[in-house]
Amino acid sequence: MSREVLDVDVLIVGGGPSGLSAALRLTQLQKQKGGEPLSIAVVEKAREAGAHSLSGALLDPSTLRDLIPDFQAKGAPLAAEVHEDNIYFLTPTHKFRFPITPPPFKNHGNYIIALNQFTKWLAAQVEAEGIDLFMGFAAQHVLYEGTRVIGVRLGDRGLGKDGKPKAAFEPGADIHAKVTIFADGVRGHLTKQLIGALHLDARSQPGQFAIGIKELWEIPKGRLKPGTVIHTLGYPLKEEEFGGTWLYAMPDDRISIGLVAGLDYKDPLFDPHAAFQHFKLHPFIKGILEGGHLMRYGAKALPEGGWNTQPQLFFDGGLIVGDAANFVNSMRLKGIHLAMRSGMLAGETAFDAVRAGDTSSAFLARYKMQVDESAIRTELYPVRNVHQAFGAGLIAGTAFAGLTMATGGRLMEDLPGHAGHTRMRTLAHYYGLEKRDILTGSNAAPFDRKITFDKVTGAHYSGTHHEEDQPVHLLVQTDVCHSVCGDEFGYPCVRFCPANVYEMVDNGAGGKRLQINASNCVHCKTCDIMDPYGVITWVPPEGGEGPQYDGM
Amino acid sequence: MILVIAEQKDGKLNRASWEALAAAQQLAGAGTPIKVAVAGHGLSNVAAELAAAAVSEVIAIDDAKLEIYTPDGFVQALQQVIASVSPAYVMFAHTYQTRDFSATLAARLDRALVTDVTAIRNVNGVVAFARPMFQGKLVADVAPQGPAPHLVTVQIGAFRADAVTKGPAAAPISTAAITIDSASIRQKPEAPFQEAKQAVDLSQAERIVSVGRGIKSQENIAVAEQLAKAFGAELAASRPICDNGWLPMERQIGSSGQTVAPKLYRSEGISGAIQHLVGMKGSRTIVAINKDAEAPIFEVADYGIQGDLFELAAALIAELQKS
Repeated sequence: MSREVLDVDVLIVGGGPSGLSAALRLTQLQKQKGGEPLSIAVVEKAREAGAHSLSGALLDPSTLRDLIPDFQAKGAPLAAEVHEDNIYFLTPTHKFRFPITPPPFKNHGNYIIALNQFTKWLAAQVEAEGIDLFMGFAAQHVLYEGTRVIGVRLGDRGLGKDGKPKAAFEPGADIHAKVTIFADGVRGHLTKQLIGALHLDARSQPGQFAIGIKELWEIPKGRLKPGTVIHTLGYPLKEEEFGGTWLYAMPDDRISIGLVAGLDYKDPLFDPHAAFQHFKLHPFIKGILEGGHLMRYGAKALPEGGWNTQPQLFFDGGLIVGDAANFVNSMRLKGIHLAMRSGMLAGETAFDAVRAGDTSSAFLARYKMQVDESAIRTELYPVRNVHQAFGAGLIAGTAFAGLTMATGGRLMEDLPGHAGHTRMRTLAHYYGLEKRDILTGSNAAPFDRKITFDKVTGAHYSGTHHEEDQPVHLLVQTDVCHSVCGDEFGYPCVRFCPANVYEMVDNGAGGKRLQINASNCVHCKTCDIMDPYGVITWVPPEGGEGPQYDGM
Repeated sequence: MILVIAEQKDGKLNRASWEALAAAQQLAGAGTPIKVAVAGHGLSNVAAELAAAAVSEVIAIDDAKLEIYTPDGFVQALQQVIASVSPAYVMFAHTYQTRDFSATLAARLDRALVTDVTAIRNVNGVVAFARPMFQGKLVADVAPQGPAPHLVTVQIGAFRADAVTKGPAAAPISTAAITIDSASIRQKPEAPFQEAKQAVDLSQAERIVSVGRGIKSQENIAVAEQLAKAFGAELAASRPICDNGWLPMERQIGSSGQTVAPKLYRSEGISGAIQHLVGMKGSRTIVAINKDAEAPIFEVADYGIQGDLFELAAALIAELQKS
């Protein structure tokens, strides 16, 4: 079998905010400095730019201003400027407004955006500079020469369920690059390979994550003023569970609504999707949604661990940027501007490295130095312990967050961090020995098909699509599912997956069998993160497949 | 004038062509003439069949180079026919073949294309074409702009084939004078093949008996087969049945299977996940049987029966065999 090989100077894997910012910065430097033009390629698994981008989202425009100073004139799709911040603490039936808005929640000067549209716009700016965006191509493997990264191999197309080539089989191409910038997003599957192969986590804490579940609604006319921002804490999450909710009002009576739940919960029977349904049924929220309708659904994991969880960002032939490097400020609920900033800085280092003819780890270490001198560190270092402190519960975490703000994060020891899935308790530990119905969540929610919807319906509204006849892209290479998982954890994958990919069905012999509905997958990576045995590996399906997050 | 492009394969008319004609007749009202064109080679039977409709002319676009479909060949041919008859609208059924070439044709003509239309409406005196958005959650009325012709493809099952008005006498049949430059046909199709052995095209079935999880076990598929046979229907299924391998994947209805709009759709023990509903909600008459009165399938059913599907199937088979 022969593979096509493409050689470029700089390869960017992932067409989200960080990858596209890197590409744009490279073209800007090219213009400024002249000389032999660099060849640059961006590969992205989504069929069109932004199709896999999902966020709340609130945008801090600071990096955008630096990258594209005339972003307003260029028509950046910023849905609404924030004009009102509200924070509430919810109980099952009531809401209590915070008397003051804590500084990290102040959004004056920020914008509500649909990240899908923003990414699409950013991609158009990059294409206008003559960069090739390879949309619908999933990078499958990192290519090495010894310990040097030399590029990526794209996924094959046209393999059948059995892994054998079908009539339209096409082997994936190899793209070789002097510098490869990994912008493969939260829990990037290539970054995960790199961390393992090159031990990039030797001096960092394990990544810590949350799952965000989002819906786009159209509500009755005039119910909320565009630019209204609502955040809540408390119900429907338990005191021990990290997370909260958001509701952002956009023009044309559209709202973005969602729930974030830490992927470090203890209750093995907890279901984040069910928690989101309970949130929508809260009288306060139901009053906003009633009479409206659901337009889109989606889910995505997000990095929560902050500064101390960034892996080593550079190595021979490559750099890591954006969500893949865990650059999210979990206290401000923002990461897009940090992703863009890291992309810009990586673009600068990559440019210099190619020009200098030295793309070794020693040269590329400049990127890390630049990150350390940038707004990324200024913003993330002081709050480096905040998510870790929430490990002791909402009250302790909030108190710690307050203390951090008062001291600017000084005079503090680093708190230890643990991979979230290791915190999940066994059924016996959490519930004692009494027998429970393990196929029903501890927080199961009703589905009225008006306000609340089951996961299968959600998967439909994510627009996700996959060819059925292809190898399953969720690798579960173990038999713990059928042997011990039921007794120990009660099949938590059935609950933490927001798209009903994992199902335990009768095996015809009185037991259960794991059925993977891979075509429902919305590429959120939650299973790769949260399964308590650490045995699920997410790999990309055929390029161009997955969710279609229009307007998300 | 409205030009309808019918579709045929090996001298057999695609049933959906009648639906495009029905849509054209609705759009035309009285007064506006309709012509129907069909492309291929050896078209006399298909042209004669189409001539039964109330149209002013049937145009056979007959050329040996069109015997096997290629997008380049069809675009060339249709471009010439459209130029010579200068219609206000060109209408197609939204088939796989139409999807393949219509965008190229519209770009070549530099004219607007509205796809997958489900209804034609008059919105404040302007002709608007309704098309689904957001997986069918919203419907947009689209009024194409710019010079004529406007190209419109109609969703399969959205218009009724049997609503086509027939003419008092057969319409005249003409042959289009076109030239096709075979050098500019870039595609070289190989012999068509079907990936699965006994692939069925459920979209052509008039009656369908469809089974879901309520069938419980593989042995019970036989009951569904008997029921389908008694109705003279094709057997289909919702996703779990095909996932289990109880029926082949090509019989799956829904967003990851086939989209159908038969005259009769019997849903046997299907709860009605939205992925299934989008594949069958255009059916003329939907009869649903389910144990759970709250099942979403009842929201789209014309006749709903809460009960045991096996009990009912036995009675139905016995009754149908009598007649």
